[in-house]
Amino acid sequence: MPIVSKTRRQTDYNLFPPSVPIVIDNGASYFRIGWAGETEPRVVFRNIVQRPRHKATGETVTIVGDQDPAMMKFFDCTRSGPRSAFDSNVVYQFEIMEYILDLAFDRLGASGSAIDHPILITECVGNPVYSRSKMAELLFETYGVPSVAFGVDAAFSYKYNQRHGKCQKDGIVICPGFTTTHTIPFVDGEPVYKGSCRTNIGGYHVTDYLKQLLSLKYPFHSSIFTWEKAEELKLEHCYIAPDYVSEARKFQEGTKEAEEKTRYWQLPWIPPPIEVPPSEEEIARKAAIREKQGQRLREMAEAKRSSKINEMENELHSLHFLVKQLDQVEEDDIPSFLSDTGYTSRQELESTVSKVTQALRKARGEPKDEADEFEENTDSNEKYPLINVPDNMLTPEQIKDKKKQLFLKTTTEGRLRARQKRNEEELEKERRNQLEEERRRENPEFYLEEMRAQYKEVLERVEQKKRLKTNGSNTNGNQKSGNVGRGERLSAAKRERMRLLTTAAFDRGKGEDTFGAKDEDWQLYKLMSKDHDEDDERPDSDEAELARLSSRLQEIDPTFELKAEGEPGQASGEAPRVRPLTEEDYKIVIGVERFRCPEILFHPNLVGIDQVGLDEMAGASIRRLPHDDKELEERLTSSILMTGGCSLVPGMKERLECGIRMIRPCGSTINVVQAKDPVLDAWRGASAFAADLNFLGNAFTKKDYYEKGEEWLRRYQIRYNTL
Amino acid sequence: MEGELVDADIVVPMHLSFKKTQAYEKYPKGQSRGRWKHLKQILQADPDDPFYINIESPPSTQPCKRICDVTGFEAPYVDPRTNLRYANAHVFKALRSLSTHQVHHYLSIRNAAPLLK
Repeated sequence: MPIVSKTRRQTDYNLFPPSVPIVIDNGASYFRIGWAGETEPRVVFRNIVQRPRHKATGETVTIVGDQDPAMMKFFDCTRSGPRSAFDSNVVYQFEIMEYILDLAFDRLGASGSAIDHPILITECVGNPVYSRSKMAELLFETYGVPSVAFGVDAAFSYKYNQRHGKCQKDGIVICPGFTTTHTIPFVDGEPVYKGSCRTNIGGYHVTDYLKQLLSLKYPFHSSIFTWEKAEELKLEHCYIAPDYVSEARKFQEGTKEAEEKTRYWQLPWIPPPIEVPPSEEEIARKAAIREKQGQRLREMAEAKRSSKINEMENELHSLHFLVKQLDQVEEDDIPSFLSDTGYTSRQELESTVSKVTQALRKARGEPKDEADEFEENTDSNEKYPLINVPDNMLTPEQIKDKKKQLFLKTTTEGRLRARQKRNEEELEKERRNQLEEERRRENPEFYLEEMRAQYKEVLERVEQKKRLKTNGSNTNGNQKSGNVGRGERLSAAKRERMRLLTTAAFDRGKGEDTFGAKDEDWQLYKLMSKDHDEDDERPDSDEAELARLSSRLQEIDPTFELKAEGEPGQASGEAPRVRPLTEEDYKIVIGVERFRCPEILFHPNLVGIDQVGLDEMAGASIRRLPHDDKELEERLTSSILMTGGCSLVPGMKERLECGIRMIRPCGSTINVVQAKDPVLDAWRGASAFAADLNFLGNAFTKKDYYEKGEEWLRRYQIRYNTL
Repeated sequence: MEGELVDADIVVPMHLSFKKTQAYEKYPKGQSRGRWKHLKQILQADPDDPFYINIESPPSTQPCKRICDVTGFEAPYVDPRTNLRYANAHVFKALRSLSTHQVHHYLSIRNAAPLLK
């Protein structure tokens, strides 16, 4: 049942004579104010304050309670969230308290020069005297209140229900509130605070637990689980399981009952636009366009090539012509003849001819005839005539030529050797393949098995290496989720490099510098260099082997599947990232959470609070009572009243009764009743109390406050029996 | 101020006739607001007033209930690496794919997260 705020300004304030007290239920979640003797509070709002900046004027304004979000657009709330005057269940921030009282009195219609009415205000059990005196001071000094009385909300609720016959003069009140839960035993109609018990858990914790669980369960939607939304979900769906473990088991086994109990919340989801596959016409049209473009490009390339060939042919032609002419020219005239053409000697001209012929051949796409090369080889002595001649027999020019020839010879030989090696390798491969083929024919199954084992082994090796490279140590538990931890940012090699660099930087100037005395010292720079990779010994061989094995396996094994790159068998943590989102991803399932969250009221240690839960609190309270009177205990347990907002959770009564029965002696009478209205009864009880003629006897004035001192205020306690 | 806002009447008026000292006089703008003692400080400052602390509930005598941090089912196992409790192998798999941030969040819910100082 969501609590409805009432903030309309009242108009009848002046109709009440100054003798009528104002009654305030100052709860950690809601603030209620009204007139003594009435049954409903006049003004109710959430006990929070925001002080945002008004966007238009820039001034800081005060907004109390929950407000229409549509109105908040006029304010800049970035620097001020909603704040509460409470720390746990004690008021400590009296500036905020003042803003709250401002609004409360303003809405009640106050208009005079002071609040000229006695005030009854609620506080928690055992309120520290600091908080109580500050509150009294605030009321006396700032609002000019004539007298003040403090009482406990749970006690007022009990008295109100006692008056309506719900409970007896001896009994226990259990009040799960917003931030704390209290039990207070009543003896002869008076609360015995010495026997009361407080556990620091309440509705706030339940909502917060739900909020956190849901946002962890749906990290994708975590932004929608605001505190307000979680509160709404809690009020609507939460219940208390009669027995947590068996209820959870039902859900774990997926029984039908559990299915019926699971609630779904479908978030608005718009299906992504479905891509219509292009029609055949479209495909044909596109293909035609592509074909046309290709054709054009091909034509262009062809034209370019033919023009180039043409050019080269012309050049060759002219060169041939030049050579022919040269033949007819006298030997002595050659230089003068050639000077016009740009060539210096006959040899140069000839080499140009052969170059152009080669290029032309290549352009035409004719194969290079290797015979030429072989020919070259066979008569290397003729080709390189200068090599075997000693240097001292040659002119400087010839020495230069000799060097050139030497270089040419070694390169050709090197090429030849490489070719030979390639041929040999090919032969070797062929032979191995043949061998394997034979073995396969002999025993196909055994062979396959062997291949698979080999493949697995090599794969492991390669992956191990990859891991080492990307992620030095595997000690951290979540290498899968990406680079989260600080230690995982650097690979092992990089880390080693950093270490070397830092030691190098800090070692200098320390003691005798012997660096460089040994040759190994210089090795350090190689290790430090960026290109240095940890081991280049056989990475290629492994990877090549893997490729060979996998291709072989693909040939012969129909069941073989190539493992994808990356981590094999990786569980997808956040599924919605990889595949397109479906409606299912926008469905919030609230199953176990429905009873898991309120369970913390009975087992606070589920959220790390090491205190007894609701049921055991009753037992603890009875134990704390000074008397050891079995009859009284019997009377107490037969009149247990639940009040406070959290007692509205369905299933609370049954669970509480069951839990208390377990800790009480066998055969005890146990009777748990719910308050008439767990939320408003405290205010109603207080209202009835304040309406009594004896009320002023319980209140104190400003004069009392200043004369009697702190010690008196500490022991101050109203007598509830006037009710 | 916008007309809409005046109609909605959500802002607490600056000046209230029934107050002897106005809030803006008491708490002038720009003054530090961190002067309120927190509950812990209040309790420490006044050791003669132990009542608030005395009524605190004792720790439970019942064995601590262990539930799976992720699903809420009964949890017989604890993952030694993350310290999370889990119900079965299926949950364990999901648990190992959580990020450190998520693990930390789960642990902090039940106040078991390691404190980083």
